[in-house]
Amino acid sequence: MHPVRQSFLVRRYSQNVNVADARRVEATASPRDAARIVFVFLLVVGFAVIGLGPSAAHAQDWIRTGTGLGVEKVRLAASDFKATTQDPNTPGLLKAFNDTLWNDLDNAGIFEMVSKSFYPTDVPGNPSEVHFDAWSTPPPNASMLAFGDFGATGNSLLVHGWLYDVKNVGSPQVLGKQYTDAATQDGARTIAHKFADEIIFRLGGGVPGIAESKIYFVSDRGGHKEIWAMDYDGSNQHQVTHIGSISLSPRISPDGTRLAFSSLTKTSWEIMVYSVELNRLVSFARNGGTNLSPTWAPDGARVAFSSSRGGESNIYIADATGGNLHRLTTGRGPDVGPTFNRKTGAQIAFVSGRTGLPQIYTMEADGTNVQRVTDQGYAVSPSWSPNGQFLALAWFRKYGPGAPGANDICLMDIASKQWVQLTHDGGRNDFPSWSPDGRHIVFQSSRSGSEQIWTMLADGTKVQQLTFSGRNSQPNWSWK
Amino acid sequence: MQANADIFTEPNELGKPLVYSVVFHATVVGLIFAAGTILSRGTGSGWGAGGGGEAMGVTMVSTVPLPAPQTETQNVLANDSKGLTKSQPEPKAMEQPDAIPIPDKTSKVKPKPVTTASKQKPAAQPAEETNEVPFGQGGPVSGPYGTFSSGGAKGGFGFQGGGGDFGSAYAWYVRVVQQKVSQNWLKYEIDPNIHQANRVYVQFDITRNGQPTNVQLEQSSGVPSLDQSAIRAIQRIDTFGPLPSDYSGSKVTVEFWFDFKR
Repeated sequence: MHPVRQSFLVRRYSQNVNVADARRVEATASPRDAARIVFVFLLVVGFAVIGLGPSAAHAQDWIRTGTGLGVEKVRLAASDFKATTQDPNTPGLLKAFNDTLWNDLDNAGIFEMVSKSFYPTDVPGNPSEVHFDAWSTPPPNASMLAFGDFGATGNSLLVHGWLYDVKNVGSPQVLGKQYTDAATQDGARTIAHKFADEIIFRLGGGVPGIAESKIYFVSDRGGHKEIWAMDYDGSNQHQVTHIGSISLSPRISPDGTRLAFSSLTKTSWEIMVYSVELNRLVSFARNGGTNLSPTWAPDGARVAFSSSRGGESNIYIADATGGNLHRLTTGRGPDVGPTFNRKTGAQIAFVSGRTGLPQIYTMEADGTNVQRVTDQGYAVSPSWSPNGQFLALAWFRKYGPGAPGANDICLMDIASKQWVQLTHDGGRNDFPSWSPDGRHIVFQSSRSGSEQIWTMLADGTKVQQLTFSGRNSQPNWSWK
Repeated sequence: MQANADIFTEPNELGKPLVYSVVFHATVVGLIFAAGTILSRGTGSGWGAGGGGEAMGVTMVSTVPLPAPQTETQNVLANDSKGLTKSQPEPKAMEQPDAIPIPDKTSKVKPKPVTTASKQKPAAQPAEETNEVPFGQGGPVSGPYGTFSSGGAKGGFGFQGGGGDFGSAYAWYVRVVQQKVSQNWLKYEIDPNIHQANRVYVQFDITRNGQPTNVQLEQSSGVPSLDQSAIRAIQRIDTFGPLPSDYSGSKVTVEFWFDFKR
């Protein structure tokens, strides 16, 4: 919601305006916002409540309060599936399946996984073998149990999976699914991804899982900086472009078919579009000057980018082939790094140096109503969350010689301008990008010594390194 | 003295101001009456009559929304909403004949001696079920009610639909609803001057595909910004996820309450 609009509404409420009236005003004024991210918000509130402003977090010690902030996570037990066939391949495939399922559920960020060491010794393979008491009481004390059987016959897999609410003996079944796929490691992993996504979809409130999403990034391990892709968990890393110069800031289109990036030609930096389906470059108009940081509108029909074709670097918008070019910002310092509001497509956040150090600004998609959202320091790389509520950004809040702190990923609630710092572990953290479910953020960090890709939950927990070889930067998570 | 004598011998000079004075006072009194009748015309004559030609429309409502009770209990069974439990009728004790007829000496047939039970045991009361939940072992949401708390503020909800057992049959879905609403309740929208408020009740439907519709304020807290934040918490949600596939109804009605305390 628009900040000015909101404060106006709040003022109206405090004047004891008729409730129905206020509601009508509100109903017309605010687009219905999307589902939100729990932990982040609760964290923001938590900080605000206990007066531990995140500004204090630049000091060496910092505290994250978590208990009693709201709804607890569901305690989920995922028992190893039971093999139903004696095929010699079965143990290997079953292990791949079990590991993938566990990782997917553990990474989802909405479950408290019950450690396997607490499980009863006889794991169930089908519903009749479930002993509710054994699972619902301590030590496992689980609310939910995922179990099933796994069979490999010839070259096909047959998997039955169930999800049971073990504390609800009366009607325990939440899910019952059957899957078949080829009897390969990939097939086993695919089934595990699908079953995990189904569980996350059910228990996560209708938000699809991200197990089949991709992350695009820049890597120099082939000698040149080229665009690479990998699965969300870091597996299956492969090179996408083979341009042979320097390619930066990849952005995948909302439908996942085209990849826009900026690449150095003989004369200038130009925006290029690569079709992931055709495996070749498709046409995009060359503008001359320096063209950087493309971004897709949520409808996939427009691309915004920064261009210095008119002298100073400004934000331009064009259609998907580069035609129909319009300038959105004017003069006064460089404007770069646009990102659309992924929920509405009606706003653009960008970085501008018009007041000196770079700061984040927002504007309507037609270039009107420019507003500054960061108050100080050095703020770059805005990334708008899928629900439109948050901006993730890289913020060096106390920028300057000898200043404490570092370049860290922060999260800002656009409407209220409340923000919270997500990374605290040193190094230079930059280029955050949201997962499609809005629960994860992928970013680039140099905490391990060199630039690598990391992911974390959107509340800053569960930090994981995805890439290890070469130097990898500027990750971009696919839209679905 | 000549001057004095002159004054007393001129009666006309006193008469003229007297006339002015009478006229002036009469005018003032007249104006007061006129003002009284003009200004009071709207209310005075209309009392109790409900207006004549230009009548105010009065709609009779079957129930008047009364303010919520000031003392709020955290007992989920003792809130303003209808519960699931029904009170058992008191078992009726057998009526004792209070008089034993005196045997009639004249009659041939002797009446059989009436025996009365010395003590009639009342029917055993059904044992009350304990609703205590051992710490850390809470089962599924029992009944259709549940609560959540978040940073001092609390919420709770009830489900209607599926014959009243939606909450027990699909406890996992109830938990999803609870989780999503509490996530989306942004308390910074509430007027910062408010530290505590009455409970606000919001009702909405969940359609089969999981969308909340028909969001309405059932009972206001008296704090507009709190009412608004509660309604927005629901409106902000795109979907709760599709209703359980084996649930037969087309929608579920949810009543959600929010307690705010800073």
